[in-house]
Amino acid sequence: MIQLHNVSKTYQRGSLPVPVLRDVSLRIEKGEFVAIMGPSGSGKSTLLNILGCLDTADSGHYHLNGKIIQAASEDDLAAIRNRMLGFVFQSFNLIPRIDAERNVELPMMYAGVRPAIRLKRAQAALKIVGLAERAKHVPAHLSGGQQQRVAIARAIVNDPQIIIADEPTGALDSRASKDIMRLFQQLQHSGKTIVMVTHEDEIAHYAQRVIRVRDGSIVDTAPSAGT
Amino acid sequence: MTTFHVSIFRDVLLQAISSLKENKLRTVLSVMGITIGICAVMVVGTVSQGVKKYIYKELDTYGLETLWVYRKWEDENPFRSVREGSGIDNEDLKYMHSCCPSVKQVTPVVYSDADSVPMRSKGTFVNTNLEGVGVNYLDINNDQLILGRGFRLEDIQRRKPVAIIGSKIRDELFGAHTNPIKKILRWGEVRLTVIGVLEYKDRNILSQLGADNYDVNKRVLIPYTLYQQQLGTKDVHTLQAEAASVKDTRKALGELTDLLKRRHNYHYEYVTESMDTWIETAEDLLRKISLVGLVAALISLLVGGMGIMNIMSTSVVERTREIGIRKALGAYRRDILLQFLLEATVVSVIGGLLGMILGIFAGFGISYFSGYDLGVSWSTAFVAVLVSIVVGVLSGYYPAYRAASLKPVDALRYE
Repeated sequence: MIQLHNVSKTYQRGSLPVPVLRDVSLRIEKGEFVAIMGPSGSGKSTLLNILGCLDTADSGHYHLNGKIIQAASEDDLAAIRNRMLGFVFQSFNLIPRIDAERNVELPMMYAGVRPAIRLKRAQAALKIVGLAERAKHVPAHLSGGQQQRVAIARAIVNDPQIIIADEPTGALDSRASKDIMRLFQQLQHSGKTIVMVTHEDEIAHYAQRVIRVRDGSIVDTAPSAGT
Repeated sequence: MTTFHVSIFRDVLLQAISSLKENKLRTVLSVMGITIGICAVMVVGTVSQGVKKYIYKELDTYGLETLWVYRKWEDENPFRSVREGSGIDNEDLKYMHSCCPSVKQVTPVVYSDADSVPMRSKGTFVNTNLEGVGVNYLDINNDQLILGRGFRLEDIQRRKPVAIIGSKIRDELFGAHTNPIKKILRWGEVRLTVIGVLEYKDRNILSQLGADNYDVNKRVLIPYTLYQQQLGTKDVHTLQAEAASVKDTRKALGELTDLLKRRHNYHYEYVTESMDTWIETAEDLLRKISLVGLVAALISLLVGGMGIMNIMSTSVVERTREIGIRKALGAYRRDILLQFLLEATVVSVIGGLLGMILGIFAGFGISYFSGYDLGVSWSTAFVAVLVSIVVGVLSGYYPAYRAASLKPVDALRYE
């Protein structure tokens, strides 16, 4: 379960302090599929980064599955990202040098899983996203949709509770987007919590709830039109 | 939560190697920087250790424990007439054993004022370095016989006309590879029977350094009693002795001069010589040679290290996004640090190993062209590889530290 209480974040642009998030409070239940929407510069990406423990808030409280995130050290945050969170990015963020299988192995490597077990679990995760036969391909030899599916396999391979997705369909055509969203729904049905930033309404329809952000504040939270 | 897993080391090493493979030219260039530096270290080490080995071998042809005592001839008082005699006589020898505990053995040495003594055999003349010596002379001087025997006590006591000759004397009078034992050598009216031939002694480096012009291989040794009879004297010109150990040389010299002064009522002053002054000179020279070489080698290593640092810094900037991805996936700070440190270390160790191999071959080359077999200095090779690891870690640390310190959100945003 995710809980934010009065979280604020200010960036320093030159000598000018620019508030990005102002006193944001938010609660996401276990198993929910939530979309965060808002115009660019609204603070939705910063919000997602804080939820994903990639960035830290200046003030306020963040509880993630009972852990007090604002008190966590840099290495604690790394461990939390490794075990509790899975990331899916707009630009896939696969490492180009290594093949799909080895990309999927990375989170397990940092978790200290033995190589033999890693290989089995990476193959299983690739099977879930329907890419078992592409395991030995490097990212450059895969289509956008396939790359994103590798990224999803990588996000779920350590079996985290929460998937953090930043514009996961932003670089994909509508067919591939649909495939990815179906995969997300499938993950939700298997019990994952999904928090996704998007600016496309038809993508947001796949979520159960839409949180709208403007000028660093949550202006609206409502069930999505899709449900 | 932060347990370290051994398996990650292997993974990170494989990653480091794969990213080095990706930038082959860059890797090769930085490897070469280290190779040259380590090769220089190897050459300096091999040459200084090889030369040291040679110099010690030559110094050992005198015997490292050898010492000399002879009379000081400059009289400090110009109004006193110069006293006759060498200040050492045969009687003194009897007391050496009981009065000088730091002296292992001693031999008198008798010689004439002439630079060289002519001798002949069947019409062939040769100039020799004639010395009258005792039984222990060969042992003290580390002289080996290639033919015949050394002196016996009865040779000395009965003033037998027997001679042990240097290898060059044998070559010049009787021809190389001949056996001159029992042949006759004429020294004026005296007919000397050859009883032994000395092994050739190599003092090339020392004579090149100007340490000794006397040709050790042109000696003719006879019983000192025989020489004294011919010269009509009871004087011993030099007392040559061997200290019980290298450490005892100063003590032994003190004991010998004290004894001589006491026995001659303090009428004479004595000059003493030992090998340790020579050893110090040689060591000092070697230290200077290796210091200059080492400084040059370290400078080239420094340049190599800066090359690695430069390349690793570029690599960190290029892979900022990758670092962000790895951090998002749960890499600890030290995982990133280790990855870049290992990359730098792999480069420098490969460079170090290549430099070591190249250095060994360079050593062989120098041995071949100089004519001195310097051998391989394995201790330097070990140090060289160790140094290359240190250079890798030191030069990789700053870029690795920068990589590890990147915030994941900033690194991910990097285009």
